[in-house]
Amino acid sequence: MEQNNRNIRKEIDEKLNDEVLRGALARFAEAYPIARAKAYENVEDVDALRDSVREMKQATVDNIEKVADDFEAAVVQRGGKFFRAQDGQAVNNYLIDLCQEKGVKKIVKSKSMASEEIHLNQVLEDAGLQVKETDLGEWIISLAHQKPSHMVMPAIHLNKEQIASYFSDELEQDIEPDIAFMVQAARKALRNEFLEADMGISGANFGIAENGAIGLVENEGNARLTTTAPRIHVVIIGYEKLIPTIKDAVPILRTLPRNATGQLLTSYMSMISGPTPILVKQDGKWVEQEKEVYVILLDNGRLEIAKDEKFKQIYQCVRCASCLNVCPIYTLVGGHVYGHIYSGGIGALLTAFFSGMDDFDKINQLCIGCRKCTEICPGKIPIPDLITELRARKVAEKGLPFAARSIFAVMSNRKLFHALLRAGSIGQKPLQDGALIRHLPLFLAGLTKDRSLPAVANKPFRDMVHRVTKEITKPTKRVAFFSGCSIDFVYPETGESVYKVLQDLDIEVVFPLDQSCCGKPIIGVGDYETTRKIAKKNIEAFEAVNPEYIITACPTCTETWHETYVELFKDDQVWKPRAEKLAHITREFSSFVAEEYQKAGRLMITSGGKKVTLHDSCHTKRGLGIYKEPRQLLAATPGYELVEMKDSDKCCGMAGAFGVLNNALSMPILKQKVSNIKESGAEVVAVTCSSCRMQIKGGLDKQAPHIEAKHLADILAENIKD
Amino acid sequence: MNKVCTNWKAHFPTEKVGLEYYEEFAGRAQNVSAEVFRVKNPIEAQEIMANLIKFTNASKIVAVDGPLQDAANITEHIKSLGVEIYTEQNDIAEHAESSDIGISAAEFGIAETGSVVTDAMDIAGRLVSMLSTIHVVFMQSANVVAGIEQAFEIISEVYHRGYISFITGPSRTADIERVLTIGCHGPSRLVIIAVDEESGGGVN
Repeated sequence: MEQNNRNIRKEIDEKLNDEVLRGALARFAEAYPIARAKAYENVEDVDALRDSVREMKQATVDNIEKVADDFEAAVVQRGGKFFRAQDGQAVNNYLIDLCQEKGVKKIVKSKSMASEEIHLNQVLEDAGLQVKETDLGEWIISLAHQKPSHMVMPAIHLNKEQIASYFSDELEQDIEPDIAFMVQAARKALRNEFLEADMGISGANFGIAENGAIGLVENEGNARLTTTAPRIHVVIIGYEKLIPTIKDAVPILRTLPRNATGQLLTSYMSMISGPTPILVKQDGKWVEQEKEVYVILLDNGRLEIAKDEKFKQIYQCVRCASCLNVCPIYTLVGGHVYGHIYSGGIGALLTAFFSGMDDFDKINQLCIGCRKCTEICPGKIPIPDLITELRARKVAEKGLPFAARSIFAVMSNRKLFHALLRAGSIGQKPLQDGALIRHLPLFLAGLTKDRSLPAVANKPFRDMVHRVTKEITKPTKRVAFFSGCSIDFVYPETGESVYKVLQDLDIEVVFPLDQSCCGKPIIGVGDYETTRKIAKKNIEAFEAVNPEYIITACPTCTETWHETYVELFKDDQVWKPRAEKLAHITREFSSFVAEEYQKAGRLMITSGGKKVTLHDSCHTKRGLGIYKEPRQLLAATPGYELVEMKDSDKCCGMAGAFGVLNNALSMPILKQKVSNIKESGAEVVAVTCSSCRMQIKGGLDKQAPHIEAKHLADILAENIKD
Repeated sequence: MNKVCTNWKAHFPTEKVGLEYYEEFAGRAQNVSAEVFRVKNPIEAQEIMANLIKFTNASKIVAVDGPLQDAANITEHIKSLGVEIYTEQNDIAEHAESSDIGISAAEFGIAETGSVVTDAMDIAGRLVSMLSTIHVVFMQSANVVAGIEQAFEIISEVYHRGYISFITGPSRTADIERVLTIGCHGPSRLVIIAVDEESGGGVN
């Protein structure tokens, strides 16, 4: 635990104003997805490959003590020394003693995030040892006295001019900012360090229990030199890097370089098992000896993770850092705001366990929940879900803040909640608690200082139901509509459109009036008890009308019905089957309608008309896997012509109330979205989520008022006569 | 010579190692800036070495033994060109750092990635592959597998202990402004000489 007095907002503002950083990250964010896609061109089934990473790692973590014992035995059997370190202090003490015993004065290091996690360099230097980082990026960072801002590209935040000035200071000569020249200067400066060092310290990308080998994946060749030249080799490896067999390295090696740097394989991949020969100069003659090998297996919170049913998924990480590369927040502000060594979404999780919840607290808001990371993660780690879970655990431990408790008490009482909504008396007072607002339906976030929010509609949808309900003489289906708070109280006209479209298909639609908020905002802050209460009310309300399907026009509500309710009642014999039954019949509007249109022969592509482009909401595309169906519908809508925009599935920056709370971060993301919409030539942007609609409309009003933002249901309803 | 395995070839599954993977291997190796020469017999390698020495003005070479290098009579040929060459372990330790070219051999190649797999247990072999400016690696063109998976089928059979390195192109970095720069801590050129004629395996 460190920076307890951090002013995170100030740090973010500084990064947003750092032109060098912003430029570098923007170029990288642009180039990365292309490079990654190209690297996977010769992989037949990427998804199956990622599954093999996940399954292998899952099987390992479930058996971690055994795998660790086997790894230790294999290392010791081959003549290596083995040390299990409970924490950083243990590693540091062990190494200082070892250096003293072995007369070590000079140390070279190849990349080891674990050593940075425990501040090893500082400790060794304080003990009078000379320590040189040899990975070029890490060396630059050490010269700059900074922390890495990216796990794979530590110095991505610096430009060549800045680096040249650090080089000039270190090498005591004027170094021109010429990249090729600087690389050569580093090579020259560090070559002697390798040859003169007494000890080489490396990390490991994997450790194989079968034969005690470690694997090192690198491009520069410094890891090979670090593990070859000095007479002593120290490996610092975390439990999460262990794998059972030699063949288990395959899925890691097929994904790690492709995901990390867009390479099929890095220049070097070395595996080292047991002591290897070394040449030592004695009295002017070279003598072959066995290298001394010390393997340090680091815990520092890792075993606690392994035992946790949910968080053990962190073990599926191969440290490729691709979750940073696609993160809309990381690519805006870089890694330093995450405060510790590990950055991005996975970094926030690792920091929580390695460094403490207080450090996590500062940064947990930096996850926008868009799930771009999960989509490309080699181990398929649901990073945003784990961050949400961590927030929830904190609530379970420390309780909710007062403001949250009182508003949740209101929300669990539907009549009171709705009465207050109608009176517009919730949301008028700014709520100060960030964690709370983050998860509230947008209009409850209050009048925050940077932006006014949409007003609660004069008449909620529930009051219009009787007017929009049509008598269907021979209904083909009977469905119940779950509106969610946004459609009910802010966009009732979209509810009307949903009715129109469904009734036009001769579907009878009912609206159980006892329905309330889905509960997502509440579970988002970790209040399971209140969510269960609300869930039961909703389940009862929908069971009472016995529909064939429950239709929602909000992806988040859909997910809540699909997953959250079932999860909430997983230990409840009575409610679990009830939740499951309804989860099974809950359908998102656009995919349901596309299916019905298909059956009715109505998915014929039309041509001409207004250009419309689709913004893929994070929750619709990555939460529900729905992205084809809305396009089919738009392509088939008379009067519209579907065009695509760049990065249609990139988050709009709103994410519930994130955009309101974190205006400074949200605005650049929105600006990019609006510019992509403009470039597409579209006159209308279609959305399937009310939160996205609000954000995009807000951006369009300022930057391109001629373009409209509409819910897909509203577009479909335009062609239906009353 | 220290080795992870004294006879890798005995562990090649015949249906999974062959010349049919060579073209893809060579293409992918070239994509990552390796220079690939395919020769019919080992003697043809002499001319490639001679040209390399000529165009780089190489004056000092370190080399480890191997059946392909021996069949090419490469040491004698280099000596005949009047270039310093060291092949003894102690001499390699002394001279590798200041050498222009290092010569060693690989056990097999991987088509999926354009990599060569080297048995790097031997310290001299490792030094010549990492300290010289140019690394020349000999291999049999028929010793190529389709992918990393097949490579590990072989490795898991033979790997009890020791040092194995996959080498994929020259040393590189992109740590400054993400600009790809060749030749960081390791060799700035990787020259692969793939020999068609059978010479009894990669290294031994």
